[in-house]
Amino acid sequence: MEAFFIIATFTVPENFGANPQSMLWLLPLVAAIAIIYKATKLPVITAGKFIKETAVLFGSIIVFIIIAAFTLHVLAWLITG
Amino acid sequence: MTVLRTKEKQVLFSLIVGLLSWLVPGAGHLVLKEKERSIIIFATIVLTFCIGIYIGSIGVINLYGATPWYVVGAQVMNSPMVLVLGRVTAGGAYPVHGWPNEIGQIYTSTAGLLNLLCVVNAVYMAHLRGIEPAEG
Repeated sequence: MEAFFIIATFTVPENFGANPQSMLWLLPLVAAIAIIYKATKLPVITAGKFIKETAVLFGSIIVFIIIAAFTLHVLAWLITG
Repeated sequence: MTVLRTKEKQVLFSLIVGLLSWLVPGAGHLVLKEKERSIIIFATIVLTFCIGIYIGSIGVINLYGATPWYVVGAQVMNSPMVLVLGRVTAGGAYPVHGWPNEIGQIYTSTAGLLNLLCVVNAVYMAHLRGIEPAEG
């Protein structure tokens, strides 16, 4: 019975709006991109190296997004006053 | 003649690996005896796709509606099972709008594009290894 309720949650959209917290949905997506990229790039997969490389790529993407957002914010502030 | 046949087998093997990768994410790498890689790929692609349809409902798979062709194409790259899901949602029984629709579409199409990367990677690995699967 519980399984039906879980499956039913996939038939109704989540109810949330465009607020600052909804930007956190970015994180799982970035993690997925970092994991898949490293899974295809590493010649040999070992747990330690894979986790380390994925974490570095994940951090790099997040830092780049923050820098891009900050730059665009400053640009918008300069143009629109 | 033998060289030609070997080359044909290699192309066929690469095609099969690519097709398997599309049918089930990670299956192509499993054929190539890359067990860890295939488990990581399967878990990540399926989880990303599931997050997408959890946020936006299965209504984000809207193959016959107003969804742009490039989003549909990217979603179909997850697996042919998306086409089956598209038939289920075709009547518009699962309406979804706004932010959940956008995030759901982004997640499902990104999962598809990541699987496309894995398909290309599996075909490339199969090509490098020749016609015989790698020894375990």
